Amino acid sequence: MNALRRLLRREDLHSLAAPYALDSLDAGERRRFEKHLDRCEHCAGEVRALSEDAVRLAWSTAAPAPAALRERVLAAVRATPQEPVPGRQAPGRERTPQLPPHVWGTQPPPARTRTPRVRPLLVPLTTATAAAALVVAGLFAVQAGRTQDRLDAERARANEIAQVLAAPDARATSSKDARGRGIAVIASATEGRAVVTLSGYDSPPGGRVHQLWLMRPDVQPRSLGLLAGDTPLIATGLDASAMSLAVTVEPGGGSAQPTSQPIAQLALKSVGFGE
Amino acid sequence: MEADELLVLVAGGDQKAFEDLYGLVSGPVFGLVRRVVRDPAQSEEVAQEVLLELWRSAGRFDPARGSALSWILTLAHRRAVDRVRSVRAAGEREEREARRAHHPAFDQVTEEVEAGLEREWVRHCLDRLTALQRQSVTLAYYDGYTYREVAERLSLPLGTVKTRMRDGLTRLRECLGGAA
Repeated sequence: MNALRRLLRREDLHSLAAPYALDSLDAGERRRFEKHLDRCEHCAGEVRALSEDAVRLAWSTAAPAPAALRERVLAAVRATPQEPVPGRQAPGRERTPQLPPHVWGTQPPPARTRTPRVRPLLVPLTTATAAAALVVAGLFAVQAGRTQDRLDAERARANEIAQVLAAPDARATSSKDARGRGIAVIASATEGRAVVTLSGYDSPPGGRVHQLWLMRPDVQPRSLGLLAGDTPLIATGLDASAMSLAVTVEPGGGSAQPTSQPIAQLALKSVGFGE
Repeated sequence: MEADELLVLVAGGDQKAFEDLYGLVSGPVFGLVRRVVRDPAQSEEVAQEVLLELWRSAGRFDPARGSALSWILTLAHRRAVDRVRSVRAAGEREEREARRAHHPAFDQVTEEVEAGLEREWVRHCLDRLTALQRQSVTLAYYDGYTYREVAERLSLPLGTVKTRMRDGLTRLRECLGGAA
């Protein structure tokens, strides 16, 4: 009885191969069918063949993509870290690749030489400016040491950064002292936003913090937030009067106004502000 | 270079390879997304997500499981269908009106595209399916309907629609095979 029901149920699942290949299952059925695919080699083969057929339908729809799309995608690529190669990532909360097993693979592929490992992001950043490299390196440092709980927050931050970079007027600048410590910024004047990264500085002793300030002519400095290590900080609400950025060491929790001399400063004129 | 080789380079973080890959696949990806999503602004949005996802997830491509182009277009189709369904869920009526408004522009634009022989051949082969096979396949693939919705629209039992979809795809394979 149970065996018969199981058989009927499996028969029913088999019949979903074509609808699945056409992406015409609803979300719940899709999940159930993919679970079944994990265990049914025959179905996986069939789905693969039917999916190849379905893809042929895609070819008749090709159309030139808008030129602006290219710029946006390439800018976002420069700012977006790649996912670790499957098999080396923590299982569980990974949410992005909701793709069919026949596409992603139900098992993580074994480590092989064919797929180069993800290199540190500084290597491929040949076209980005040094400042962009600093920002992204900071981002990646955070991701490498991330906990699962922080994954979504990091993703959201990566998206925000990608947005700043995708702005048509996004520009980068940085400054460094003799010891290689510095501050880097990627900013969009039209969006009034900037991604700011501090690099090379040790955490201040005694629970003190690095605080970022916006300097404008004839106005008191405005706090843009606290910088945690080399994690990028996204500053918003910058207007044309923004002259420069400054970093000071402040008591834990930060101060209303700077209480010490800046350890790092950066003019914003070259990125479209202070006009 | 072929998309397959490029995708492997992209998985290694090669941005130049990604630019080349973009040149190869942005047209098919954008065209497919627009065919399903219809709305131009939303199509651009979805295409951008898909192309960025290629960069992020290139390491997951496994050549043993099929060609890079299949992998990429499967991804694009999945994302486009997800979008058009959530739009439909949000407002069936608005969607219908938007579609009516955009349809003429869409046809006009596709006519300008030089998709060439392959496109003609797909159309030719679609024409050779039975009407029910063709409608089942195209309502699902090009319009993003679930097979339950397709069954409703065509007033057919679910089992019949599933069979028509399979027969339609199989027959398409036989016909297209000659041009592959």
